Formats: sequence, structure tokens, C-alpha cells
Amino acid sequence: MEPVGTLHPSLLSQKDLLWHISWDKQKCALCGHCTAVCPVRAIELGVHRKREIPITLGLSEKPKNVYGVYHGIRQITDPAHACIGCGMCSLVCPNSAIYPVRNEETDKLKFHINAGGEPRRRGGRRNDSASVLDRIKFVRISMLTDPALDAGRHEFELRTLLGRILPPEEAVKPSSQTGWIPPVREIYPLIIGGMSFGALSPNMWEGLQMGVAYLNEELGMPVRMCTGEGGCPPRLLRSRFIKFVILQIASGYFGWDEIIHALPEMKEDPCAIEIKYGQGAKPGDGGLLMWHKVNKLIAAIRGVPPRVSLPSPPTHQTKYSIEESVAKMIQSMYMAWGFRVPVYPKISATTTSLAVLNNLARNPYAAALAIDGEDGGTGAAYNVSMNHMGHPIASNIRDAYLNLVKIGKQNEIPIFAGGGIGKNGNLAANAAALIMLGASGIQVGKYMMQAAAGCVGSEGDRCNICNIGLCPKGITSQDPRIYRRLDPEHVAQRVVDVYSSFDSELKKILAPLGRSTSLPIGMSDAIGIDDYHTAERLKIKHVV
Amino acid sequence: MSRQEKIIITGAEDTVRIESRVLEERIQEAVEQGYRKIGVQSFGQHGIGGRLWNSDSETVEIDIYGYSGQRIGSMGSPTTYIEVHGPASDDVGWLNAGATIVVHGDATNGVGNAMAQGKIYIEGDIGARGMTMTKSNPHYTPPELWVLGGVGDSFAEFMAGGVAVICGFDSHYRDNILGHRPCVGMVGGRIFFRGEHHGYSEGDAKLVGISDADWGWLTENMQEFLKAIRCKDLYEELTRERSQWRLLVARQPHEKARKKRMAMSEFHSRVWDRELGKGGLIGDLSDMDRSPVPLITTGVMRRFVPSWENHKYLPPCQTGCPTGIPVQKRWELIRKGKVDEALDLALMYTPFPATVCGYLCPNLCMDGCTRAKHFLPAIDVTVLGKAGSDAHEPKPARPTGKKIAVIGGGPAGISVAWQLWMNGHEPVVFDRADALGGKITSAIPHSRFAKELYEQELKRVADKISYRKLESGLDSGTFLEIRDSHDYTVIATGAQIPRTLNIKGYKRALTALEFLQRSKEDRIKPGKNVVIIGAGNVGCDAATEAHRLGARDITLLDIQEPASFGHERKQAEMAGAKFLWPVFTRAITAKGVELADGRFLKADTIVFALGDLPDVSFLPEGIDLLKGYISVDEAFQTTDAKVFAIGDTVRPGLLTDAIGAGRKAAQAIHARLSGTDDTFDRLPPIDTRRVKMEYYDPRIKTGADLGQCASQCASCGGCRDCGVCEVVCPQQAISRRDLQQGDYEYVVDENLCIGCGFCAGACPCGVWELVENTPLG
Repeated sequence: MEPVGTLHPSLLSQKDLLWHISWDKQKCALCGHCTAVCPVRAIELGVHRKREIPITLGLSEKPKNVYGVYHGIRQITDPAHACIGCGMCSLVCPNSAIYPVRNEETDKLKFHINAGGEPRRRGGRRNDSASVLDRIKFVRISMLTDPALDAGRHEFELRTLLGRILPPEEAVKPSSQTGWIPPVREIYPLIIGGMSFGALSPNMWEGLQMGVAYLNEELGMPVRMCTGEGGCPPRLLRSRFIKFVILQIASGYFGWDEIIHALPEMKEDPCAIEIKYGQGAKPGDGGLLMWHKVNKLIAAIRGVPPRVSLPSPPTHQTKYSIEESVAKMIQSMYMAWGFRVPVYPKISATTTSLAVLNNLARNPYAAALAIDGEDGGTGAAYNVSMNHMGHPIASNIRDAYLNLVKIGKQNEIPIFAGGGIGKNGNLAANAAALIMLGASGIQVGKYMMQAAAGCVGSEGDRCNICNIGLCPKGITSQDPRIYRRLDPEHVAQRVVDVYSSFDSELKKILAPLGRSTSLPIGMSDAIGIDDYHTAERLKIKHVV
Repeated sequence: MSRQEKIIITGAEDTVRIESRVLEERIQEAVEQGYRKIGVQSFGQHGIGGRLWNSDSETVEIDIYGYSGQRIGSMGSPTTYIEVHGPASDDVGWLNAGATIVVHGDATNGVGNAMAQGKIYIEGDIGARGMTMTKSNPHYTPPELWVLGGVGDSFAEFMAGGVAVICGFDSHYRDNILGHRPCVGMVGGRIFFRGEHHGYSEGDAKLVGISDADWGWLTENMQEFLKAIRCKDLYEELTRERSQWRLLVARQPHEKARKKRMAMSEFHSRVWDRELGKGGLIGDLSDMDRSPVPLITTGVMRRFVPSWENHKYLPPCQTGCPTGIPVQKRWELIRKGKVDEALDLALMYTPFPATVCGYLCPNLCMDGCTRAKHFLPAIDVTVLGKAGSDAHEPKPARPTGKKIAVIGGGPAGISVAWQLWMNGHEPVVFDRADALGGKITSAIPHSRFAKELYEQELKRVADKISYRKLESGLDSGTFLEIRDSHDYTVIATGAQIPRTLNIKGYKRALTALEFLQRSKEDRIKPGKNVVIIGAGNVGCDAATEAHRLGARDITLLDIQEPASFGHERKQAEMAGAKFLWPVFTRAITAKGVELADGRFLKADTIVFALGDLPDVSFLPEGIDLLKGYISVDEAFQTTDAKVFAIGDTVRPGLLTDAIGAGRKAAQAIHARLSGTDDTFDRLPPIDTRRVKMEYYDPRIKTGADLGQCASQCASCGGCRDCGVCEVVCPQQAISRRDLQQGDYEYVVDENLCIGCGFCAGACPCGVWELVENTPLG
């Protein structure tokens, strides 16, 4: 409440906010847990004056006012403290007395979250739950026509190839003739996409890496994780676990000196090098690590001063054409590891993807192409970029694959898809759909945060404060008071659970196709969709 | 009507194989006819020997010769005994419900698939998927499968009951007599086996020790098996060593949940940290503890910590008072019953707590009162002011021997002299008048204040401060003489030169100062019609006085909306004064005032009340002016470091502005003389949103008496010692601690505090604040 009631344009009431705090006076124990845990101080203890007018029946006595005071939880309406709907209050409330409720109408906060002329920046996702991938169905169920398999009983070898695969006529030549055989990795098709050390808390990052190591060493699943742009802790670089890691280089080049220093001491080669040219969540914009999160540790790993915001430029400096950027970067990165490590670019999905792909097809060193769709997540970006820029992944991957088919190289350059896979929780179905549309593998980030660490973000603009270091689950915070809430062992265990269950679900989809040893990449006759135009566009079956 | 002779049924007629249906009909017919021994010459027909339940509970023996066909003995009856004289095809004993089936040779895939009762004896190996989907029905004896050799892949999938015995004798499978991945989905039954194997589905089955009872069962039933397959001579070899045998059983559901894996905590310490080093991923970069903490934390792990900010901010009343009187502190003293102290305290700030605070001041302190922002009446400070005359006289500090000249004996001069006297200095006031007092004495109408109170307050000062009359006025020579014979000089000569308008006939008008001075002594008769040019507060005073002296038609003119307010304005209005604006005067005639718009106002007396300018003619070079006033810095120091200037010589203002300036100048002079910092009143104002007015009853109107006023003061930024924080803290982390001299503080036990901010939320005075904890890492 504004005591004086003086109006200014950005003065908001609770009704104007996206999230309302519902608080039950009857249930509240006034324990203080909710206000202590609220990441943005959206609630406080309020003092309330209450007037009652007890009137005797029959008006036999003269009525009077009875004033009293009570204490209760009050929502703050200042936009800087607007509730983000994370629900931590609800999580810690012993009596279920408090929880956030989403405003059904368009909130007015939206119109005022640009004080000082600074547009809204946030982390998270696109806030649009629509998904073409969710609507794709697997319509080829081969009970009797193909040797259908039993997902629970049969053994599957779900692997994909990352690397430039020589055409058969080249592959059969002895190496003395070919000179060099491009390195190819046989990996699990679900990759943890680039989330930097810095974007994620140390406990989260370590948990993910530990889970990946467990999957490889204990369960024999060759799962790989990309570092994102922020360097790699020196110890990991010098450990055998580095072979489970895809190192990313992006336009900010953060942390690469540490990697160069580690090169002579590395026990193992990394899985691959990903050159990031674009990110699906904020195409056309570079990376951004806001100052809140650049503490001494992060600064040291990135090689920058502490407490400064770290933007990466939207483009790589010193590269002035597609031919040059791609060729120059791929050559340099191959050379660093003696041409033993596959190098591939990652771009945001765009109408110009095919130009990049055709360029790569002509470059015998290009190991793959990763395309990140509009639904990708981010730790920090302008709201407008996240919500309104970028290309959906499904048609972009499909176009890319069909283009490879046209030039006869669909088995030579793998395409990896990212962005919005599993955004509504349907990870295996979305992954399988993209594989059948032509992807060789899938990159996921947000899904891992949600499933492995309990990220509360949703497509309904819930939480989304990854950028300011206050992540209530400790996933994207660099504040030990917050990230120590997250136990790396628990994250690692959840990574293992996620992969195990994904594996079972993927088998459930692939078994009826009779596939147990090779992924049905591009097997588009197995999928259909109930929308005619989408079916036409994706060149898949129209099923109604 | 059974027939003991054996009937031979052949599966071919004239070298042509007959259909399975026909052969089945002939076998069923033979049983119907009473045959109990049937030989079948098979040509691969389906399901031979099954479903023979019409034998009146007598055993039917079937001997199968030739190519045995699929599903021998399927849906077999307990009274059926089948011997296959040679190898058997797929699915021997499929859905067997009790038949005993002996195969003198190998059997291919699917042996015993889904059998629920009966026995299958195999004198050789079997193919894939043997003993799958077998059942265990509590009403019947469970099924058995005995295999002399080994079994093919996927053995015992989804096995739910019965016993399988794999003897591992002379098997084709040699080093893996259980085949690839046996026991997937096994939920019941037992598998005895002997010989090498390559593992089984550990999530579903487990190896257990063979008990004496198990061994007894195995060796006993082994005899029957070997007898059936006519290999009795192997008994010795197969039962010689119990240790050659292993027993697999299904895991119980609670054991089955997950295949045993390394615990993540073990992986963390034994694999992860061993490879990376102590502290894991970043153990070399940081020694920060990263172990898990709960969501609700105490001590150093709290995100926010409460801070008891008692008197760290100024309340709005004190911020608003130009004199800087700690109004809130006075109410606090009254609440504590220290009424005298509350009155005395004011004297430390102003020599006129009664006359000014109680009567003449517009009480800016009340303008900012937090109560007003909550639609509650501000605390009426005039109640306190009017009570001020009973104050005790303060004792001055030890004499310093420092002499300060104060030129001008009005409110500003008296204020600075009073403050300097209290600090032990020797102020001397110079003035042209006969005594101290200035405009309050000479120009402000008596109706506006209590004369006796004023005289009492003036006397209190006059008794202590030396006063020298400047007989010959003030010129620059006199000024320099004064300045050079004192440590500091303060100019407080006020504004003495009235502004007039340069219009025709302006000399016919009086200035407000002249008018008020003469009216105060009743030396003027203004007549019936009075026009006052300038409708400020001084104009209002003139109007009130004119009315007192008989005027009945009083008009105040202004070129803009009149700036007058408060008592002055109210009293003028009560006197019937009219306010005309915006108007411009063109000329003054003997009859009255001519306005620019042509109107004419009749007037017996015309007064200019357009403000006054200071007389600066005595100032020497080196003291700069700014727009006609003396230029000073924040501490009222002029461009001559030895000279200060205050009051209306600096800028026109209220009495409280003049008194405040005197206090600040005195403070600055005292600081310079004693070599200390003049740090007074430098605290920031409190954010009044921190103050909770909800604790107060909106029905109570303040102003009745001192006690009631004091009780309703919210004490912004100053602890009321109410104890709400102690009670509201859910952790009982807050306690009150006594300090010396009756002082106290509230402290937080950081090992209990969770940083919820309830103290800040509940504190009536806004003393508690929740602040971010010092960053870690």
C-alpha cells in the first residue's frame, strides 16, 4: 500500500502484478520462513489495523468501533520486488499457508519493467508453451511387419556419431592414400548443451559433470556435456573425465588461456570442440554474464576482473565472411589437438542455416553442425530477443537434413538439434521426433536444470531470474549462501536417473520400429502430425 | 473300458502327410475308444499328445516317432505321459497343464513356454527362450523342466514359477550353459544349474545357497529324471558334488527395484575426488566450503541480517525544523515522564521555545509528520511550545575567554549569542535599539503571541548576554573596530530597508515596518479603508493590526497567488481582509490606489508589504554580496573567515530560519575555536515508509495535552522500547540489553536469527532494518 496515495505512472497494485501472493491468516504460523527464503524480497511482515463494528442484536446497545492490530505476510508491489512466482515461500511453509498465484490477465508490470529506459533482461525461457515437437506422433508401429522389439527385454545400442564420416568410397581407401581420417566419436545421442561455469553455480556444474562421469564409467553410457562459454576448471582439463566434455569456444573467448596452458598436460582429448556462433534463445546477440554472478572464482576462471558484467560480442571479432569465419576457426581448433578432436560450429536456427550447412559440406574438416532453435534457454538475455527472435527448430532441422539428402551427404555430416526439446516435459518424444526429422543427436540445457536440479522455471514466466544470481534452487547463483542449497551428489544422481529413464523411453519409441542398434535418423515415414500444413512443410505424414 | 494293447497311429496315408487336424482327431478317438498306449508316427504334425483329458483319469502313454512337430504335449493333461524318441521341435509342452514329456534328444526353441504344471525331461540341449512365462498355481504342483545339457539364449524370461534343472552334461553350449541374458523379467521359481555361465539378469534374479532341503529335492528327483531319459548311470556324476550346483531364484519385488549400482556418494569420494583431487572440480581454486546448507539458515549463512538502527536517521519533524529541534526526542522524554527535561531540551536549541514554537512559528516540524501521510493529524507541537516557559535555565560550559561580537539583537543575534554563551564563550550583542529583541519586540503584533511569556524568555537571555548600544549607528569604521577586537563577528542586522514600488505617488504609502512599529505603539490611526500592497504574511500582520485600529475595508494586493499562510493569513481573513490577485498597481493618489486595469481602490492608508532588504552599507571590502544579501557558505561563514552572517542579512526567512542559522553559526564558530568538527544534524532523514502507523488509533485527535501528544508520536527512527521486536521474532533471537546510565539496546543472537525481517516489518518506529549480509566468495 502506498500510504499517501500519490499517483505516478508506474505505481502498481497487487492486482497489476503477474504473481499474486495468496496468504492464509488462519494457517500462518508466523514462522518467518517465507520472508527469509524469498529470493527477491517480494513479501514482508506487515502490520495491519483492523476495525470491527460489533452490533448487539436488536440494537439494544449503542454500537461502537473496536480497533485491533494483527501481523501478517504482505506482498510488496514495487516492481523491483515483484513476486516472480518461484514458490519458495510455499516450499518452506510448514502449514501450506502461502503460495503464488498467476494473474490471469495481462499484467501491468510488463509495461513498467523498464525503469530508467532499460528494457527487461532475464534468464529462462521463451514463455510460450506451444510446441510442434509435442504434436508429432510416432505412427509406424510394426507389430508383425517388421521384427518389432521389446524395449524392456531387448538390448539396444543407442549411439550416434559426432564427426565427419567419409563416404564409403573414401573410407575403404588405405590411410596412406587418404592421408587423414577425420576423428569420429560414438556418443549417446542426448547431449547436455553448453551452460557455462559462471552461468551455472559451481555445485550445479560439478553435479552435472559428476553425473556424466558416472553414466560413462558406471553405466557405460557415452554421455557428453558441453562446457558453454566460460572456460573449464583446470582440474577437469587435466583429468580423464575431459573425454566426456565438449569444450566450447565463443566470441568472448573466456577461459581459453587456461585451456591452452592445460594442453600439454592433458591425459585425454576432449570429446569435441564446439564453436558457438549463435544461441537459439537470443539470436543475433552475444553471451551475457551479469556482474552479480562474476565473483572472484568466476573471474579467475574466465580471466577477467571480478564484479563486472561480461558481454560476449554477437559475432566473433576478426572474421569477416562466412567462408573465413568457419574455415579459420575450424582449422585453428583442429590444430590445437593435432587434428585428433572433431570441431563443429553451433548456430542459432535461422533462415540462413542452409548457407552455413552448404559451406560446411564443402569443408572436409567440418565435423558436424549444431542448430539451436528459438526455444533455447539462457542465463541472461533481453526479453525481446528471447520472446520474439529466432527460428523454430523442427523445420530448420528438417530443411537442413533434406538439403543434405539432396547433395547426398546425409550420412556424412551429422546435425545436432537444440532448443525447446522437452520444454513441456516430453523429452524422449521430442528427441525422437527430431531424430526422425533428421537430427543425429539432441542438445538439452533447461530440461537438465529442471529435472536434475529442480529449476522451477516454466513457460508461464515463472522465476526467470537466472541472470541476477538469486536462483532460489542454487542452480544459477554464485552466492554460496544460495548455491550450497544444491548438493552436487544429488544433481549427479538425478542426471543418472534422467538418462536412465530417457533411455527407456527412447527404446519404447524405437522398439516398435525394429531399431535397436542404429538411430532412425531421418526416418520420417514413422512420424505424423495432425496439421496438414505442418505435415506438408516438414514432409511428414498428415494423420488425423 | 480301457484297452491294454498299444495302437499305432501314423501321420501319413499313402506317403502323404495328413493334416494336423486329422491326426489330432484320430488320437482323440483312440483315447475315446479306451486305448491308453498310443504310438504316433509323426510327420511334423502340430501339438501331438496335448489335450488328452478324456481318459477317465487313466494314464495315457504316447510314444512319438519320426519328425515330432511343434508344440508337443501343448495344453497337456496330468494323465498324459509323452516320450519323444528323438529330438523335438519348438515349444515342447507349450501351456502344459500337467503332462510329463520326455524328449530323447535336443529340443529347439521355446521349451515349456507358459507351462503351469507337468514335467519336461530333455535328454540333451534346448534352444532359445526355454522355460519362459512359466506359472505357479497354488492349487497344483508347480512345473518342472529338466535339461541334461544346457539352454539357449533368453532362458527363463518372465518365469513366474516352477523349477528348471540344467545339468550341464555334455552340452553344445560348453562354456555358457545358461545362454545369453537368462532370467530377464523373472519373478518366481527356481533354476538349479551346473556348469559355466555368462551371467544372468541381476536385476531380476539372484544366486542363493543350496540348502539341505534343496539338495535333498534335487538328488531325489534327479533319479526320476535320469530314469525317464534312461541315463541312470549318470546319477553318480551329477550328484557327486553339491558345490558343482548353483541355484538362481527370482528377486523379491523389494530387492528388484534397481540393479545394485555404486552409490553416488561413493562415486563422489572414490572416483570423482580421487581423479580430481580433494575438493573436487575447483578444490585447487577455492577453499570455500561448498557442503550443503538448508533453505532456512542462521549465522553467517543468512542472506539478510537485521540491524537495529536506533537514531541513525533523523525523524521528519527534526528534519523539517530549520532550528533543528529534536521534537521527537522531547515527546519521548514526556512519555518517560520527564516533562522538565523535555522543556529544558528545547532551550539547548532555541532561546524562544515558547514564543516561537508555541506561537510565532508555522511549525514546519508538523508538515513532515509521518502521521499526516496516513491521514492522521500531526502531533501538535504548539502544545509543547506553550508549555516551554517553565524550562530550567541551562548551565553554560566552562568559560573559554573567547569573545564574539554579534551585531544585531534580533532573533538571529539572540540565537547565536545564546548558543555561544552555553558553550562557554563570551558573546557581546551590539544594536542601535535600547535593548535586545529586534522585530519580535518591535514589529510583530501582540495578538500573535503571549507577551508575558516572551518577556520572560527575553529576560532569560538578557540576564546572561552583554549588550552594547551602538549610539552612533553602524558604519564600516565601527564594524572594523568591532571585528578586529573580537575572535569572531556575527552579522545579524536583519533586513531593515523596505522594498517599495517605483510608481507615481509611492511616497504617499507607508512601509510595513513603519506601519507595524507605529501600530504596535498605537501611534497610528489608519482610517476606514486600508490597501496593503503585497499579500505575504507581513501584509497579513499589517491587515490584522489595521483592523484592530479601526479599519473596516482592508484589501491586500498581489501580482501572483499570495504566499501568505498559517496564523497570519487566518487572522487577516478573520479581520475581513480581501485578497486581490493578480493585479498591478499603476499609481497612488491622495484618494487611493489606481490599478493597471483601470480599477480604483479607495484608501485612507496604503502600506507597502513587499519585504525588506538588508542594510549592507557598513560592510568593508572582502565581504561579498549575492543579489543584495550577504554571501555565506553552509556554516554561514562569509568570505571573511572571521565574519559570519545570519538571519535576514543572508536570505529572507522565518523566525525559525533565523534562530536555526544562529545555532548553526554558533556551532561552526565553536568548532573552529575548539578545533572540532561541526558534525551536527548530519544524519540522513528516515524513510518514513519504515514507520508503522497501523499501531495507532485513528480516532485519537492529538492536541489535548502533552501526555496524549507524546503517546501518539510514532517516534520515527527512534526506539520506543516497546518490545514488539522481541515478541514478534519467531526465533526469539532478539533481546534487550541494559547499557550504562539507563540506556539500552536491542541485540540479535545470530545463531538463532534466520533473517526473516519480521523485526523490521513489525517495528513501530522503523528502527529495525533488514540489510543484505556481507557477500561471501
